[in-house]
Amino acid sequence: MSSTKFRNPLRIKLAILILFLISESIVADDVSYSREVRPILAAKCFNCHGFDAGSRQGDLRLDKRESAQHVLSLLDGSNLLLDRITSDDPDVQMPPPESKLSLSKEEINVLSQWLDQGAKYERHWAFQPPTRPEVPVVDSANLRNPIDNFIRSRLLAEGLTESEEADPTTLIRRLSQDLHGLPPAADLVNDFCEDPSDKLYAELIDQLMASPRYGEHMAVPWLDAARYADTDGYQNDRYRYMHVWRDWVIHSLNENLPYDQFILEQVAGDMIPDATLKQQIATGFCRNHRINSEDGSIPEEWHVENVVDRIDTIGTAILGLTVGCARCHDHKFDPISAKEYYQLFAFFNNVPEWGVGPNNGNSPPFIDVPESWPHLSPEENVAVVPDPVKLRGAREGQLGNGLKRPQAGNNKTVMVMHEMQVPRKTYLLNRGEFDNPDKSEALVPSVPKALHTTSDPQPRTRLEFAHWLVNDENPLTARVAVNRVWQQIFGLGLVKTSENFGTQGELPSHPELLDWLAIELIESGWDIRHIQKLILASSTYRQKSDISPELAQKDPQNKFLARSPRYRLHAFALRDSLLASSGLLVNQIGGVPAKPYMPPKIWRSISNNSYKQGTGDDLYRRSVYTFWRRTIPPPMMVNFNSADREVCNVRKDRTNTPLQALTQMNNVAFVEAARCLAEKMLAHSENPRLAIEFGFMELITRNPNEVELDLLLAAHREFNDNYGAKPNAAKELLAVGQKKRDETLDVAEHAAMTMVASLLMNLDEAVTRE
Amino acid sequence: MKSNEIANLEHNRSLINRRFFLGRAGVGLAALNGLIGTQCEASADDHPTLHSGPVTAHFLPKAKRIIYLFQSGGPSQLDLFDPKPGLMKRFGEEVPKSIYPDERKTTMSNAQTKFGTAPSAFKFNKCGQSGLELSELLPNVSQMADDMCVIRSMHTQAINHDPAITLMQSGSQIPGRPSMGAWLSYGLGSETENLPTFVAMSSRGSGKGGQPIYDRLWGSGFLPSIHQGVKFRNQGSPVLDIYDPAGVNSKVRRTMLDYLGKLNELKFQSSGDAEIQTRIAQYELAGKMQASVPELLDFSQETKSSLAMYGKDVRRQGSYAFNCLVARRLAERGVRFIQLFHQGWDQHGNLPKQIRKQCIDTDQPTAALIRDLKLRGMFEDTLIVWAGEFGRTVYSQGALTHQNYGRDHHGNCFSVWLAGAGIRGGMSYGATDDYSVNVVENKLEPHDLNATILHQMGIDHTRLTYPFQGRDYRLTDVHGTVVRDILS
Repeated sequence: MSSTKFRNPLRIKLAILILFLISESIVADDVSYSREVRPILAAKCFNCHGFDAGSRQGDLRLDKRESAQHVLSLLDGSNLLLDRITSDDPDVQMPPPESKLSLSKEEINVLSQWLDQGAKYERHWAFQPPTRPEVPVVDSANLRNPIDNFIRSRLLAEGLTESEEADPTTLIRRLSQDLHGLPPAADLVNDFCEDPSDKLYAELIDQLMASPRYGEHMAVPWLDAARYADTDGYQNDRYRYMHVWRDWVIHSLNENLPYDQFILEQVAGDMIPDATLKQQIATGFCRNHRINSEDGSIPEEWHVENVVDRIDTIGTAILGLTVGCARCHDHKFDPISAKEYYQLFAFFNNVPEWGVGPNNGNSPPFIDVPESWPHLSPEENVAVVPDPVKLRGAREGQLGNGLKRPQAGNNKTVMVMHEMQVPRKTYLLNRGEFDNPDKSEALVPSVPKALHTTSDPQPRTRLEFAHWLVNDENPLTARVAVNRVWQQIFGLGLVKTSENFGTQGELPSHPELLDWLAIELIESGWDIRHIQKLILASSTYRQKSDISPELAQKDPQNKFLARSPRYRLHAFALRDSLLASSGLLVNQIGGVPAKPYMPPKIWRSISNNSYKQGTGDDLYRRSVYTFWRRTIPPPMMVNFNSADREVCNVRKDRTNTPLQALTQMNNVAFVEAARCLAEKMLAHSENPRLAIEFGFMELITRNPNEVELDLLLAAHREFNDNYGAKPNAAKELLAVGQKKRDETLDVAEHAAMTMVASLLMNLDEAVTRE
Repeated sequence: MKSNEIANLEHNRSLINRRFFLGRAGVGLAALNGLIGTQCEASADDHPTLHSGPVTAHFLPKAKRIIYLFQSGGPSQLDLFDPKPGLMKRFGEEVPKSIYPDERKTTMSNAQTKFGTAPSAFKFNKCGQSGLELSELLPNVSQMADDMCVIRSMHTQAINHDPAITLMQSGSQIPGRPSMGAWLSYGLGSETENLPTFVAMSSRGSGKGGQPIYDRLWGSGFLPSIHQGVKFRNQGSPVLDIYDPAGVNSKVRRTMLDYLGKLNELKFQSSGDAEIQTRIAQYELAGKMQASVPELLDFSQETKSSLAMYGKDVRRQGSYAFNCLVARRLAERGVRFIQLFHQGWDQHGNLPKQIRKQCIDTDQPTAALIRDLKLRGMFEDTLIVWAGEFGRTVYSQGALTHQNYGRDHHGNCFSVWLAGAGIRGGMSYGATDDYSVNVVENKLEPHDLNATILHQMGIDHTRLTYPFQGRDYRLTDVHGTVVRDILS
C-alpha cells in the first residue's frame, strides 16, 4: 500500500508546494484595505500615525497613501514599514513596547501581503454615497422581494439553507409584537388563521400600522436615541416637561411623516420659513440633553456641555458617527478634526440659553403649549418667539452666593430651539475645556470636509445643516435609518455597530442590501413604513425561528438570517404585553407622564424628593409614558436592559439574569397582572382545562399541546390544594395590587388560578418574540 | 448515569454557577481566564463587540476584594486629615489671592466680599506608633492609624458634587462611563454563586440632609449591563422583588418553579434556543438568591461583641453601621466589590456641629470593620478605601467665628485614605501648602487613585479596556499612574 502512495516523494512535495502557493495566492488576492488592513492599522498604528495631528509621531501618517509613501514602497525587496513591524529591537520595533500594543503573526502577514500588492488604499465605504446595487439572481424558491434575493444569495455562499415559513399564529404574533410591542388581538389571529394569504397578510400589516399603538411602540428606539426624559439628569435631577415633544414623535410616526422631514423638523423646525408651532415643538429633540442646576455650577462650563450633547446625539443617532472623539483632539480614526468639530458645534451654539437650569422646570428658551394640543387650530399652529432668559439671584438671602438662575417653564410649556439675533462666537476649545478657547480664530459653522456633498454652497446655518443631513447625497443618513429599522425588527443591524458607521465600526454583513434599502428609502420619499413593509413581506422575515444544532454552531448570532431571530421582548414591550393579556392595559395616547408601581421610597432613599405613585389608570398605561427620572430610572425597566436616557443610545444588549426572574415572579405589577388574567380565565370557564387553554392563548397566541396542558393542570391541582387549605394565604395573594377583584370568585380558586397565570407569564415563550 | 454524564453535569453546573449574575455574557469569565494566564477569547456570540483579545493582568493581586467607603458631599480635609496648626494665628485673615485665586471658586461663594481664613476647630493627635496625625473627631479610626495610609495630595478638576463624584467613580465628569465596580466585574468576573459580584449600599448622614446619589455610580455605562452593581436598598426589601408575594409560601414557589422548568424545557426541545436553558438556570438561581439574601442580612448568628463593636446603629437597616457589617458579611461570601455611600458631608455652614455628627455615624463602624476583618484574617486581602469627591475651602463660607464656620467645595486638594491589602500603614502621602489649598508634593488625580486600586486587584489599568464607539476605553481614560510609594 505504501509503495504506490509514496512512490515519488519529490512529486508529493511539489504538489504540496503548489497547493501552498495556490492557497497563498488566493489569500493574497483577497487582502482588502477596508476589511483587513485598515482595522489593523486603526487599532495598532493610527494612535500615533493617523489623522490626529496633535498626537502624530515622527511626522508619519499611515491613513493616507500620499503621506506614507516613503514607508510603504519596496526598495530592494525590503521596506521600512515591514522592517519596523517585524523587528525584535525594542528601539526599532513598531508598535513600540511602551504602547503596550503588538501585532500578531497573522496581522503582520496581512500587512506584508498588502504591501506586496502595492499597498492600495480605499475610501471608507460609509463616506461614499450609496448607489443602487444589482439585485442578485438566485436560483431559489419562494423569493418574495429583493430582500430575499440579497439574503438568500449570501446564505448560499455561506452554505446555509433558509428555514421554512412559520405558522400563521406565530406570524401574526410576530407582526403584532414587532409593530405594536403587544400580542395580537384575538380577532386578528382568527382572521389570519382562516386565510393565511399574502393578501390578508399585507392588509393586516396596514391595519396594524394604522393603529395608534404603532407609533407608541416605534417611538421607543427614537426616544432612547433622543435621550428623552422627564428630569434634568444632574444632581437634584428635578422635573422638566418635554412630554409634548414625546407626543410629537408618536404622532409623527403615526402619521408616517417622511423621515427627511422628521429629521429636518427636529433639528431646525423653528427656522423653516413660516414654521408651524408643531415644527417648532419638534426641535425639543435638540433640548432633551441633561441640564445642570447644581448650586455652584459655572454657567459657561455647562453651556458647553449642552452643545456638545446636541452634536454627539445628532452624530450618533442620525449620522452613525462618533464625532465626540474630536472634542478634545482631532479624531484618531475618522476624518474629523477638532476644528471641524467646533464648526459643527457652531451650528448649535446660537441658542439664547443659560448654562445652568432653573432647578425645577423647563429651561429657556421654552414656549407655551396651547390647551388644544395636539389638535391645534390653524391660528394656533404658528411658531412663536420664546421669551429671552431672565436671570435672578438663586440664593439672594445667602451672603456671597453669586449663582444666577433663569426663569422656569411650567408643565404647560415645552423647551425648543431658537436662534439669537447676534450669533455667539465659537472657538476651538483646547482639550475640550470651556475655559481654554483658542481665540486666535472665530469659527464659522461648517460640516466636515470628508462629508461635503457636491452641491454648493455648504451649509452655514442650522437650517441648512438640517437640509444637508437629509440631502439625498448624504452618504450616512439613509443608511443609518434603514439599519435602525432592520435592527429593531431583527435584533441585529446590517451594520452591527449601529452607533458607529465610521472606520472603527463593523463592516455591514450585507453591504449591497444596506445600500439597496437606503436608496429605496430615499426614492420612496423617505418612507420608513415602505421599508418596514418590504421587510415584513419578505420570506426572510416569515421564516421559523427554531434553531437547529447545526445553525446554532454555524451562525450563532443569526447574522445571515437562515431563520427568524428569537429574542426576549424589550423591557417596555414585556410589561405592556403582560398588562395587555391581563386586560389591565389602558390605551390612552400621550399626555403627562404616568407613575406606575415603584418600590417604596424609590427616590427618597437616595435623593431629595419623593415619587408619588399614581392611582387607577395611571398604573396601567403603556411603558413609553412611564415617568423617566434619569438618575434613578424605573428599576424594572433597567433590569430588562432599557437605555438609561442619560445620553443618546441606539443599541442595548439583552441579558438574562436572576434579577429579571425575581421581577417577573414577585413584582407587584406582575403579580397583579396574573391575578387579573386569572379572573379573565375563570370568567371564561369554570372548567380548569378550558380556563387554562384560554389564558395560554391570551398570553402566547397558541393552544397548549397535551403535554403542556397536563403539566399546567397538575400545577393547578397543587396550587388548588394549597390555597384550599389556606384561605388566608389566598386572600393575601389576591390583595396584591390596587385593581379591585371580582369578589364573587372563590378566593382559593382565584388564588390557585393566579399562580397558574403567573406561571404562564414566566414562561420563556410569553416574553419572547419568535 | 454514566460517569462521563455526571462529569458533564458537574461541568455544566459549575458553568451555570459561575454564570450567576453574568446572564448570558461570558465576558467576565473570559477576562478572568485571561487573568490567570490562559489565552481565552470571549465568544463572539456572547458579546459581539468585544475585541477578541483577552484581558490579562500580569501580577498576582494583593486584594481579593474591595470595600469602598465613599463619603458623599466632600468631607473637610482641614478638619479630619490635613492638620494646619499654623492657621490658628491667621484666624480671620483674608486668604491671599496668590494662594486662592478667584478661578473656579464656585458660584455659591464667589460673590463674598471676604474670604477669611478658618482654622479647624478640632485638635489633631499623633496616633499609633507611626504618629500619623488625625483629627480628634475620629477617636476610633485613630486607633487604626498604623494600618492607614492617608493621602493628603488628592486633586480634582471638578468642583460640584455631580461631576466630582461621577469622576471619582467612573473616570469622567460626564455621565455615560462604567463605574469602577462594573469595570472590575468585567475584568475579573464573579467569585460568588448566590450574590452579585458588585453590591452598592447607601446611608443617610446625621449631619446634613445630604446630596443625592445616582444609579450611574454603580452603573455599567457602555459595558454589558450584567456588570452593573446591584443596589441594596436601604429600606424594605434589600434587593428588588427578592421576597415572594404575600400568600406565596416556599412550597407554592417550589411547585411553580418545578413546572416552569419542565414547560420551558419542552420549549427548549422544540425550538433549540440555548437561551431558554439559561433562563431555566436563572430562575433556579433566583430561587437560591431568595434564600441567600435574607441569610446575609440575618445578624442572629453574630456574636454580641461583634455587634457591639459596630455601635448602637448596627441593627438599623440603612445606617452606616448596618452597612459596614453587611459589607463584612458580603466580603465573607465572595462579593468582590462592595461600595458604601454615606451621605451628608457637605458642610457649607455650621461645619463643626454637622461634621461631628457625620463622624459619630461613621467613626466607630469604620474602625470596627477594619478590626473585624483583622479578626477574621481578611484584612490582608481586603482593600479598604475611604474617600469623598473633593475637599473644602480654607476660607469660611458665610460668617466665621472660632466655634462656627462653613466651607465651600474645594477641588484643588483633598484627603483620602486606604488600608489593607498591600497598602503601607501608618503613613501620610503628599502634602499641601500652609493653607491646605494647593498640593505642593505628590499631586494625585482620581485617575491615579483608581489606577492604584485596580493594581491592588491585579489589574494593569492600561490594559483593562473595552471597545465602544470605535475606541478602546479605560476606567482611567488616557491617564493614571500607580502610586507605588504607598504600597508595601
